[in-house]
Amino acid sequence: MSFLQPAMLFALPAIALPIIIHLINQRRFQTVNWAAMQFLLTATKMSRGYARLRQWLILAARTLAVAGLLFAVARPLSSGLLGIAAGGQADTTIVLLDRSASMTQRGPEGESKLQSGLNQLVDSLTLVPSGRYVLIDSAIGKPQEFESPEDLLKAAESKPVSATADLTKMLETTEEYLRANRPSRCEICICSDVRKADWKPDSGQWETVRRSLLELPQMIRFHLLAYPELDKMNRSLRITSVQRIQRESGAELLLSLRIEQGTAESEITRIPIRLEIDGARSEFEIEMSGGQFDLVNYAIPIDSSQTRGWGRVSIPSDSHPADNEYFFVYDQSIERKTWIVAEDPETVVPLKLVASVPPQPNIVCSATILTPEQVIETADDQPALVIWQAAIPGPDDPTANWLKQVKAPILFFPPERIGGESYAGVRWTEWRDAASQVSTWVGDQGLLASTQSGAALPLGDLTVQRAVGIRGDTIALATLDGDAPLLSQAITEQGQIYFMGTTVAPMNSSLATDGIVIYAMIQRAIAIGTQTQGNTRQLIAGSTSAQRAQGWQQIAGDSQALSTNYPLHAGIYRDGERLLAVNRSEAEDQPFIVPRDQVASLFGDLDFDRIDDRAGNSSSLIREIWRLFLIGMLVALIAEAVLCLPKRVAQKAVSNADRTGSDRPLGRGSAT
Amino acid sequence: MVASDHSPPLTTLSPVLGDNRNRRFLDPQALARLASMPLMARRTMVGSVSGMHASPHRGASVEFAEYRRYIPGDDLRRLDWRAYGRTDRYYVKEFEADTNLRMCMVLDTSGSMAFGSEQITKLEYARRLAGSLAYLAVQQGDAVGLTCIGKEITRTIPPRRTAQHLRGINDVLQHTEATGETELVARLHEFAETTRGRALVVILSDLFVEPGSLREAFDHLRFRKHDVAVFHLLDPQELGFEFRRPTRFVDLEGGSALLADPSDIADRYQKALDEYLRKIRKIVLESAVDYHRTTIDEDYEQVLLRFLSGRLRGRGLR
Repeated sequence: MSFLQPAMLFALPAIALPIIIHLINQRRFQTVNWAAMQFLLTATKMSRGYARLRQWLILAARTLAVAGLLFAVARPLSSGLLGIAAGGQADTTIVLLDRSASMTQRGPEGESKLQSGLNQLVDSLTLVPSGRYVLIDSAIGKPQEFESPEDLLKAAESKPVSATADLTKMLETTEEYLRANRPSRCEICICSDVRKADWKPDSGQWETVRRSLLELPQMIRFHLLAYPELDKMNRSLRITSVQRIQRESGAELLLSLRIEQGTAESEITRIPIRLEIDGARSEFEIEMSGGQFDLVNYAIPIDSSQTRGWGRVSIPSDSHPADNEYFFVYDQSIERKTWIVAEDPETVVPLKLVASVPPQPNIVCSATILTPEQVIETADDQPALVIWQAAIPGPDDPTANWLKQVKAPILFFPPERIGGESYAGVRWTEWRDAASQVSTWVGDQGLLASTQSGAALPLGDLTVQRAVGIRGDTIALATLDGDAPLLSQAITEQGQIYFMGTTVAPMNSSLATDGIVIYAMIQRAIAIGTQTQGNTRQLIAGSTSAQRAQGWQQIAGDSQALSTNYPLHAGIYRDGERLLAVNRSEAEDQPFIVPRDQVASLFGDLDFDRIDDRAGNSSSLIREIWRLFLIGMLVALIAEAVLCLPKRVAQKAVSNADRTGSDRPLGRGSAT
Repeated sequence: MVASDHSPPLTTLSPVLGDNRNRRFLDPQALARLASMPLMARRTMVGSVSGMHASPHRGASVEFAEYRRYIPGDDLRRLDWRAYGRTDRYYVKEFEADTNLRMCMVLDTSGSMAFGSEQITKLEYARRLAGSLAYLAVQQGDAVGLTCIGKEITRTIPPRRTAQHLRGINDVLQHTEATGETELVARLHEFAETTRGRALVVILSDLFVEPGSLREAFDHLRFRKHDVAVFHLLDPQELGFEFRRPTRFVDLEGGSALLADPSDIADRYQKALDEYLRKIRKIVLESAVDYHRTTIDEDYEQVLLRFLSGRLRGRGLR
């Protein structure tokens, strides 16, 4: 329990007052010479048990009455959210707001989790004042001060977006803010639906953030306002692929989509799917049973002259409207070119093979092996992927400049002779013989993500005989035994730059012989690179900075969205000649909640408490409950009064006690 | 109330009361008012001289008793010649005999009698009653004795009817102190055994003993043909038990002290007291004891007036 005036609790020892007064009274006895001892002795024997019990009950009632009064003036709160167990007002209250798409899930009353959370936060913060209020939202990620709790409701930074949250990043921002501003006491309120996609509980960042926060000198308390409730009846829609095909009979779009629902009902449900292509709307129905429905290459005829365009697919709105709609853009099919730069062409033949085999029959893939010198001659042509298995060019080398101009992903494989140069701050170390296997890899996203069916890539089957080390600012996507990186992504603004720790040569690894991993990896990199080709892009909300989005124009989507926040909102945008489709990430559709225990363990030794709420809950999480204590005090006082009332028997006895001898018996011969 | 016209002048009382300055328990004016009320025995008395109380023997009073057949040797002067004329038989006419009263006062002098919450102790109150009764008895020619009992019989003054004797009783009353334990029942039995002849036994005590044992003592006295009267002296505080603060009660009869919170035990005290009084009432009813429960804040003159007038209604039982 928390209190608004916890200082009053220092008066709690006063509950011993009735006992002390009782003991003092016991000591302040008077001495009386008494004759009628026989009645006293009888009375003492008779009343010993009950009188003692009554005495203790009276003392207990008095103690409770005093305690009730003290607790009432301490202004107790009905829950621990934002509660202050000791000390006074917080210097700074920081609100970490999860604005991700999943927070738009509505409750039975029609209010979203985000709105409910904001209302609860505003109520709580109004009740528990703070010197300063700071908002760190999941989309913008920058601390923003606001004057009063009510401003939270009006702020544009509290509106939902389609981008996935990153709690560790928000906590890092919080830690930086605390270090910079050094508030004396800080209450940090996190409002989130605790989705795995947002919290990434397995990320190593948690340990770093936790340690950093623990090192802060000031008192910090974390309060999580959680909305972990899931709607099992929710359906989500996602387009898995869109392809424009030009046939002799005309052009058509091949649309593949997936619908998932929380319950795996065997009963067949007819779901209308609304389709909008370049503003023209149509509708068709699908029959769904089970938890998942895949519509593959649904052909939609379009005008042959329409080589580029956009579209939107939606299903009837349910409790989570953000995942009932998906945007897409299409363009005429482009050949997916892969340039493999190698000093020795023989060593990259397997790479050429996997890069030139298309994943679908209507896609054209090609791979070309070039030497570093030849690659400069292709300056005007943009590939979908560059595989570089040669020495990293030095800063003065013209190929280094060429590499910097590449918009497609670059996948570096180590050459046989390792030089000392680096690219994007990353370099290799010498080859070493170390037979090992892949121990960990990032399976939820990136090149090594699990398949659409959820099956993991067979990285565990790979064996590596020789490997090089990777040095620099990278994110390891896969590591070998002993934490040596196998595949790392450079942290750079250029885009997707990957470094492999080994090659496909049989003497180095089984990548070529167990070809599934290398094929999936290359094709995914090509798919990413394809996005950079042509004039259409499929973007994940939040993946593009606001700076890059300057000049975007909205074609479809949330009309309330600010232009600076376009990259955060699902929709269709025009960026010059290019059409952009922004959608929520795939992780947003995965209804996985971080278990309660795991959330607690993420905060470790930090002062942390949690309250679970539900969307649409209108009752305030924190209420002052001093009335209850006053009622308790009154009940205790009434009980004390009842216990103290003299018994009716005693009254009768006193009245009958005849002082004048009125009940004097009339004995035989007695006239009185 | 007795009319003052019939009260003897105070000067006539002085020789009887002795030195009045040392007799604070005697109020001459109250005695003068009470003197008009006779102290009557409820049962026949065997006195040594003629008096105003009924005797079990035939005597020479004016109150006709019965006719009896003449037996040779009877005084011929007592033959009723008119009856002989009517019946032709000799009858002797007999009259009631009036005799004097022997009043034995039994005064409880145990420690409990020293209690008094109203500026007067039970012993002091008993002194007033006993002194007054003694005066009234002597004044009407009856004999008065006094027995003081505590754990033992501490003082015994046999009944006499002289004014000088009354002075001796008053001296004893004046100097008696309430102290020590009580063996009231045992001493009453002893008193009953040692007191010969019929007497009016007036017991002045708080009777703080087991009621059941009192019954036997009263029966013993009745068996000895005594007319038993009891003044049960109680203090108002003993009846009301009105204490506010925790109190340490010290036994006046030398027992241990008891610390108690009166609010906790008041009801139980009253219950025990009620039970005790109920038993006493039952015992005195069954033992035909002239019982007077008296709280010591009462005017003792009124108490004595009730006592005397009550006995007037019950006199003459032969």
